[in-house]
Amino acid sequence: MKQVIVLNVNGEPYTVAVYPWQTLNEVLREEINLTGVKFGCGSGDCGACTVMVDGRAVSSCLTLAIEMQGKEIMTIEGLAPSGETLHPIQESFVEKGAIQCGFCTPGMEMAALNLLKNNPTPSDYEIREALAGNLCRCTGYKKIIEAVGVAGQKMKEASERKTS
Amino acid sequence: MKDFSIVGQSVPRNDGRAKATGTAVYTDDIKLPGMLHGKILRSPFPHARILHIDTTRAAALPGVKCVIVGEDTPKIKYGNWRLFPDTQDEYPLAIDKVRFIGDEVAAVAAVDADTAEEALGLIKVDYEELPGVFDIDSSIKEGAPVLHDYCPSNISVNRKIHYGDIDKAFAESDYVREDIFTVHAVSPAYLEPCAAVAQCDLDGRITLWTSTQVPYIIQCLLASTMNMRENDIRVIKPFVGGGFGGKMELRTWEFCAAFIAKKTGRPVKFTLTREEEFLAGRRRHGMKLYSKVGFKKDGTLTGKDLKIYLDGGGYNAMGPTATFLCGTFGAMLYRYPNYRFLGQHVYTNKPPASAMRGFGAPQSLFATETQMNIAAEELGIDPIELRIKNAQVTGDKIPDVATISSCGFIEALQKAAEMSGWKEKRRSPKPGQGIGIGCYSFISGGVFNWFNTQYPFSAAEVRVFTDGTAHLLTMAADIGQGCDTVLKQILAEELGLKMEDIRITSADTAVTPQADLGAWGSRLTMMNGNAVVQAAKKIKAKLFGAVSAKQNLNVIHELDCKDGKVFPKGRPERGISFGDAVALVQKANRGEPIVERGYYTPRDKGLVTPAFSFGAQIAEVDVDPDTGFVKVKKFWTAHDCGTVINQMAVEGQLEGSIQMGLGYALSEQFVMQGGKTLNPNFLDYKMPNAMDVPPSEVAHIHTYEPEGPMGAKEAGEGLAIPTAPAIAAAVHHATGYRCKDLPITPEKILAGKRQ
Amino acid sequence: MRLSHFDYHAPETVAQAIALMQAKPGARLMAGGTDLLIKMRHAGLKLQDVISVKSIKGLNTITVDENKGLSIGATALLADVALHPDILKYYPTVAQAARGTANAQVRNMGTVIGNLCNASPAADNAPTLLAMNAEVEIHGPGGQRRMPLEQFFKGPGITALQPAEIVTAVHAPKLAPHTGTAYISLSARGQLDCTAVGVAAMIVLKGKACEEVRIFISSCGPTPVRALKTEAIARGKELTEAVIEQAGNQAAGEVKPIADVRASAGYREKMVAVLTRRVLSQAYTRASE
Repeated sequence: MKQVIVLNVNGEPYTVAVYPWQTLNEVLREEINLTGVKFGCGSGDCGACTVMVDGRAVSSCLTLAIEMQGKEIMTIEGLAPSGETLHPIQESFVEKGAIQCGFCTPGMEMAALNLLKNNPTPSDYEIREALAGNLCRCTGYKKIIEAVGVAGQKMKEASERKTS
Repeated sequence: MKDFSIVGQSVPRNDGRAKATGTAVYTDDIKLPGMLHGKILRSPFPHARILHIDTTRAAALPGVKCVIVGEDTPKIKYGNWRLFPDTQDEYPLAIDKVRFIGDEVAAVAAVDADTAEEALGLIKVDYEELPGVFDIDSSIKEGAPVLHDYCPSNISVNRKIHYGDIDKAFAESDYVREDIFTVHAVSPAYLEPCAAVAQCDLDGRITLWTSTQVPYIIQCLLASTMNMRENDIRVIKPFVGGGFGGKMELRTWEFCAAFIAKKTGRPVKFTLTREEEFLAGRRRHGMKLYSKVGFKKDGTLTGKDLKIYLDGGGYNAMGPTATFLCGTFGAMLYRYPNYRFLGQHVYTNKPPASAMRGFGAPQSLFATETQMNIAAEELGIDPIELRIKNAQVTGDKIPDVATISSCGFIEALQKAAEMSGWKEKRRSPKPGQGIGIGCYSFISGGVFNWFNTQYPFSAAEVRVFTDGTAHLLTMAADIGQGCDTVLKQILAEELGLKMEDIRITSADTAVTPQADLGAWGSRLTMMNGNAVVQAAKKIKAKLFGAVSAKQNLNVIHELDCKDGKVFPKGRPERGISFGDAVALVQKANRGEPIVERGYYTPRDKGLVTPAFSFGAQIAEVDVDPDTGFVKVKKFWTAHDCGTVINQMAVEGQLEGSIQMGLGYALSEQFVMQGGKTLNPNFLDYKMPNAMDVPPSEVAHIHTYEPEGPMGAKEAGEGLAIPTAPAIAAAVHHATGYRCKDLPITPEKILAGKRQ
Repeated sequence: MRLSHFDYHAPETVAQAIALMQAKPGARLMAGGTDLLIKMRHAGLKLQDVISVKSIKGLNTITVDENKGLSIGATALLADVALHPDILKYYPTVAQAARGTANAQVRNMGTVIGNLCNASPAADNAPTLLAMNAEVEIHGPGGQRRMPLEQFFKGPGITALQPAEIVTAVHAPKLAPHTGTAYISLSARGQLDCTAVGVAAMIVLKGKACEEVRIFISSCGPTPVRALKTEAIARGKELTEAVIEQAGNQAAGEVKPIADVRASAGYREKMVAVLTRRVLSQAYTRASE
């Protein structure tokens, strides 16, 4: 039976009625219209559906919505601080040519955030490892890896500016 | 090199922000009021006759609004090769037979996806199973099961090329080499599964949003299969998550969405699952290639005899083009004074193979390049030297095949050798390490009008405004490769405007000018770019006329547009703003807006393409002697794409190609048994991820293609070609194992390495 | 494909979970869901009831105790095991296996216990824990019991759990001084990928000789396979190249792998020899350090 739950997404509470078998991906895309969250495979292999739950990147296609009550969910739509300003990760992806078809981009940026929030100066290997759950068919990953490195630098500088 | 302002720059994508913020709308993101959700019932058998379909239980399920089978449709076959109607062998829904596991049998539309899926399980289909054929050899055998009644041999397309005297050439050769190669099918594996949304208006006209590379082709073929007029169909391409050739035909779900929308009066959406994509989706052709080449002792090529069988699957799809092109590419790269090609497209009970990045070339040139490497070894000549000796050059002509109007092949070979430290590494490899080369040439769009379009191949409309801005309208489809950005750059360069001054509307068949054949064969920069240049030149002629008149210039003055100004070249200080120049023209014409169109159709360019790209790639590998695992340490690529319009975009295309080539060479394959795909998921379809892709270095070889816009030609598709032969050669250098049947697996290496 | 329809239960205690399992025969337990939901979406698994164990308090704990050894709770995430400082220090192979199980997202959802209970012959976390003589802690209607992990796997997807039983933790004993462990897995895509063949070993040294050797092989039979005869070859000996070579060959003879989409039987057999040699050599070196 449908159960009414409250999902906290990008800082906003959404009251939704969900079936137990509905995934977070379906509810975000179909009920809350956050279509920046993509659906690429349904088996946790492509990463296009990646969102942050309580600060960790997860595959929304393998997450039941019903289990998300009381959690902080962040989708790509919640990454930019405002409509006019991009997050350093987004900025770097655009500037460095890390985007082509763009279908993997939201998930890729979430995976990058998952890495950079704890480790803004990752090694090349750490970046590759962090992105290994996100498939891209267009870019060959090279510019994505570069963009993540640059984004980390930007995030580090921004946080240093804040603390100094 | 010409002096450009915006062309050649690394301009970030036009749509980068939309994609980075998740606001870019792809087809599956579209939600219309009252929209139904469609699902497709697919055949569980590789070859069977449909005896009876009972849809009553499915139709009675609450929430189900429509169930259709082949018999409900107008039963009109389709296929992209309209010029030859007998190649059109596919119905939107199966009529009499199914020919592969996954062949489409029925479609359901319901109020939600769950209900539609449930309804599929309630459709009862009685099949009479038929014996199937699953590989080329059994399909062409005498007495093999026949897939299509019209084609008792199972060979649906024959393509021949022949020039010179091949038998004489071999008789006069000092060294003749004959090999059989097999190459496997791989998936385009675009990240966005196919999807389509259709809506029918009160006049019965259809609007279709679809994830496609070819809006115009979809418009035409949807019209013909629906028995409607072309102008009553509007196709809009939203953002598309990659295509790589896999989205260049009308497909069942596009037809079904439109047909059911018309029948029910409600919008309908179909979205494929990844499983459907892998089980039944289009793929690159597996092929069997018989190649015989002759040389003189000094390495001079005397001729080539090439026979290729294409494993086409159950329908032709884009197989005829692949058959055509693998023969073309067999004659490319090197000067073969004598050449004979026979290509045959063979039906098998497997999902149809079709276009995929390289379009026949990766297969054909895998054979060429591997054989070149074998010959070099046996002739005792360095593989690069042997290539330089025989390399095609600017001005070369091949009868019926090519006129090469620009070619940086030799320079690319030299550059790749230099960047990689080829000589030293080749001479004294470290244990377990090897280095190898593969090369490519590719088309910049096709000339042969198989679609039989009655419009120009490409078109562009440019509108300019008194505020100094412009609006570019084109049917060209940006599917991620970046043509929106590149076309804007070309227009900005031509009109002297900035990127942000240009609005672009693209790939909507009802509002953009007729027509454009779509995003395939690396055609858009060349063809649509030329259309944009032509439209811009017409605009400039108007502006220059008005400015000359207003400033009372001597007729000898030439004018130019740059930095938002229109000015006499010799008197730049007398320039006026672009917007003011537009206003002058409008005033002279009682306010009539300035709208110009440009068109491009290649003429007098042979049957294949207006221009060829060239390049060379070197791979260095490390092979684990015990496990047979190959680690590619680095790629060095030197490529000639003529003028680089957008450096970052070109690099991105090249790097993406390398990933695809790496997967093709080493890890990607369909594991199939009796027509069934056993690995229909990304877990076991091993597409390289960020940990697998090695570092790579790219060098641009500068040439100027006279036929191209601002000297540009193909980039990024051709590079799907050299990676597999380069890795194969490097693996041979490291281990002694010579791969003649892709992919190169650890097992094959262990079995074939020198002891 | 959408998920098939089921009722969802989220008990807050182990006792409630057991009671639910008794009340709903055919129900399946779910932790991260990264295996179960895939089976439901892609492999036609239809369930009436899914019982999530994530709301059970205290099941997500990881402890490394100087005397009792390592305990990983049923809902402890792969990611937390992979990055746990004490696991990295004292049980590095356990951390390595957890990290190598899957990509970052799945590690943030999936659990070590879930990986074990899924009982795939390819489970990355099994061979190392088996080599270390780990035990699973089981709660059920009959109370609590411990079972050597070695007795836990009964076939692909089949465990020794009785109806209404739940694994609440896995315990690895404190490792003796001069113990070395190693685990190597192979797959076509290199790292973080589904394992085509894997071997783990634990060696305890006495002087230069192996006092204790345990070797487990994954993906080469219906369950992880213990290479008993191979162990016997190495036991009591210094691991010279000759011994290692012999052990590798023996290990290949102790498995009867099948061919599937990931590798042929013959290749798996060969790789068992190669990987056995490599893990023995690695574990031996580590034990000597």
